[in-house]
This record gives sequence, structure tokens and C-alpha cells, in this order.
Amino acid sequence: MCVLCGQDFVAQVHWTDRHLEDRARAAAPGSDPVAFQGDRRRDRAHRVTLTNEILRHYGLRLDDWGGSKYVLRDRKGRSELVQDLGSLWPAAAKLAGRSLDPLDPALRETLVAAADGDG
Amino acid sequence: MVTGFLGSGKTTLLGRVLSDPSMSNTAVLVNEFGEVGLDHHLLRRVDERAVLLGNGCVCCTTREDLVESLLELLDLDQRGEIPRLERVVVETTGLADPAPILHTVFADPVLQHHFSVDLVLTTVDAINGDLHLDRNPESVKQIAAADKVIVTKTDLAEPHLVEGLLSRLGAINPSARVIEAAFGETDVDELFRPGEGPAHVVRPAAGEPHDVGETHSVSLTFGGPVDWAAFGIWLSMLLHVRGEDVLRVKGLLDVGERGPVVVNGVQHTIHPPEHLDRWPDEDHRPRIVFITKGIRPEELLDSLEAFRGLLGARPLPLGAEQGVASS
Repeated sequence: MCVLCGQDFVAQVHWTDRHLEDRARAAAPGSDPVAFQGDRRRDRAHRVTLTNEILRHYGLRLDDWGGSKYVLRDRKGRSELVQDLGSLWPAAAKLAGRSLDPLDPALRETLVAAADGDG
Repeated sequence: MVTGFLGSGKTTLLGRVLSDPSMSNTAVLVNEFGEVGLDHHLLRRVDERAVLLGNGCVCCTTREDLVESLLELLDLDQRGEIPRLERVVVETTGLADPAPILHTVFADPVLQHHFSVDLVLTTVDAINGDLHLDRNPESVKQIAAADKVIVTKTDLAEPHLVEGLLSRLGAINPSARVIEAAFGETDVDELFRPGEGPAHVVRPAAGEPHDVGETHSVSLTFGGPVDWAAFGIWLSMLLHVRGEDVLRVKGLLDVGERGPVVVNGVQHTIHPPEHLDRWPDEDHRPRIVFITKGIRPEELLDSLEAFRGLLGARPLPLGAEQGVASS
């Protein structure tokens, strides 16, 4: 736990964050911490962008929160702090009032329309 | 981890394997000392004590007994009181769902840094295997979770029954290697070959999606490198809502790096994904197998197809390119 920011100690790294953690460990010692922080920020920003493509369908939005957590918001102004993708989906289901299923045909249509729009 | 149907010769097999000199630095955790006496200096008995976590999902339970035993072994090893520990074999009861054991190792704050799950072996006996698969949903889960399936008592069963069982096992879990062991005889080296953990045995057979009752399996590839962040989003989302129906995910994904990423999961429990420096063999096609209960292969394909904009590549069923030699 960091005494300065008071954030929780995360004993368990979600599997989707493992890559970054492993890279951080493999890079030390003697590597440039600034470069790693840059990579990490880019990865997190990229993940937020991608996740928002899906969350938009449910009227939700995700933002990075100080580089350590994410904040999930709905249109009524309610928000939840989440640590990783593992805790994002239950929180999103709570705010959206239904579970978020990637197999859901309505979500598929939204995503296909977005992909066609881009392409 | 050794799982297997009741009476499928798990203990007999373990007995043979443990007598092999190469297994002297292997500890063994068993649930019961059965009638076949196992003799090994690092044998420990554990009482299955599962602690169900708040969300009530069976595959996310923690096996406290296992945590204690593994920590004790770790302690002995680090104090130098036992010869250097190379491997722990965990035997489960016949009806055990393998997922909680994986979850226990991955989720424990200490164990996750000292142990990794090398592979899951499942024993099936050639005589009663079909019956177990018909009657026990747990047995299907055990096959789905396996990296290697050992078919025992093949000497006692009619050859055509053995054939039938082998093809059924292949249909349930196309990614597992099936090994026949008559008379409990098997090559120890073949079962626990070092460096041949899950990372290096991804062998989805090219072929049509398989359906065995409610259980479906499908092998996929992608038209190009996939975005790893997007794949993580898709899979974590899928596992959140349908985790108990995803009996197994196993594959090598091209994420645009030099080597592939190994994806390996049983229900809600995903192995820490390994980013390899290079492909394990000549075949550099991304490939991933899904074994599901009640989710049709088309649903998975349609969903990945809808996610193509995020993933950066289209999914293709491996059956569509039959004739390409599968590894």
C-alpha cells in the first residue's frame, strides 16, 4: 500500500493486467521507469477507448482515474470506481441494470454498425 | 494436477509414475490413501476443504487444505529440509471439479508467486468412460479441463469401444492429447515431460465444430494479429456472464509480437497469460479452442465477428481450411 495516495494494496493482478506487470518486472533493474510509465499510460488509454465502444451501448462511460483505477459513470451521474476488467463488468451490470453479454445480438448489431461506419 | 473418474485407475497410474526415479523430487497430495498403497517419501494427505467465496460460483472456491499443504511444502523446500522440490502432483477426488484447484493456485497471494499449474491430467477408463460421460456432468468438465487425457484399461475393453471412446474424447476436447495406458503402464516422461506444459501443447484439430450433447467445441483462427487489450475485454466480459458455461479456452494468439500469447482458462479461472518469445513449432497460425456448455459455436463466432473492429482481425473457424496439417 502506498501511504501517499492511500490506495488499496492489490494482492491479485487481473489476468488482463498481467502483461504489463510482467513487463515491469522483466525490465527492472536499470531500465528507464519513465519509458515504462509511458507504455503503461498508453495501454490504459487504449483499453479505455476500446471498452467505451462497448459501454456506449449500455449508456456507460469509463475513464482512467489517476492511472491506478478506472471510474465508470452512467448518464444519471452515478459512478463506481473499479480496479480492473474483472471488477468492471459486475459494476457495469449494476449501473446498467442488466448484465453485459458479448453474445447479445443487440450489442453485436451496434458494434457491427460502428465497425462498418469506420471502415 | 491429476483428476479422473471414479475407479478409472488414477491411483494405479500414480503408483507407477511415482516409482520412476525421475519423480524423486516430486511431492504428491492425495485425498485418500486408497486400497492401492502409494509409497513415496513426499506423500501428503489432504482433506478437501473448500471455501466458497461470496459470489457463490463453484469454480471460484478456494481449497484451503491445498493452500496449507502447498505452503508447508514451500516452507520445507526453502528451509532445505527436503530435496529441492521440482513438482507437486495434486490428486483430486473422482468427482472434483478441477477449476477450484486452479483458482486456488492463481488467487493465493503467496502461492501465485511460487507455483504455476503445469498441466492437468485426466484419467478415463476404457470400460466405464462412456457411462461416466453420459451420467456425470463433472466428468465432461474434467475432460474439458485436461491437457492430457489418459485412457486406462484399454487392454480390458473391446477395441471398438476404445475407438468410440477415443473419438468422443477428441470431440469434447480437441486440444487435449489422448494417451492410452494399458495395464497402468505408461511412459512417465510422456506424462510429465518438462517444457511441455500447456504452453506448448495447443493442438486444435482442424475439423467441424463438435457437439456432444450440451457440450460444444470449436477451433478458431484469426485473419491477422489481434489486439490483445481488445481480446482481454471480450474474454473477461464473456467469462463474467457465461463463465460457468465456458468449460475451457485454450490457444495461441498472434498479438503482433514476435511470439504468441498463450491463453488457457477453465471456467472463470484464467492462467496468467504467457507472452512467448517465439512460436513453439513451425505452425504460426493463431489458434484457439473453446469448449462450452450450452453456448453454440456460431454464437461465439458471431460475437467475435462483431468485435472485429476492436480486435483488428476477423475470426475464422479452423474447419473452414481443412487440409492444412494441424500440429
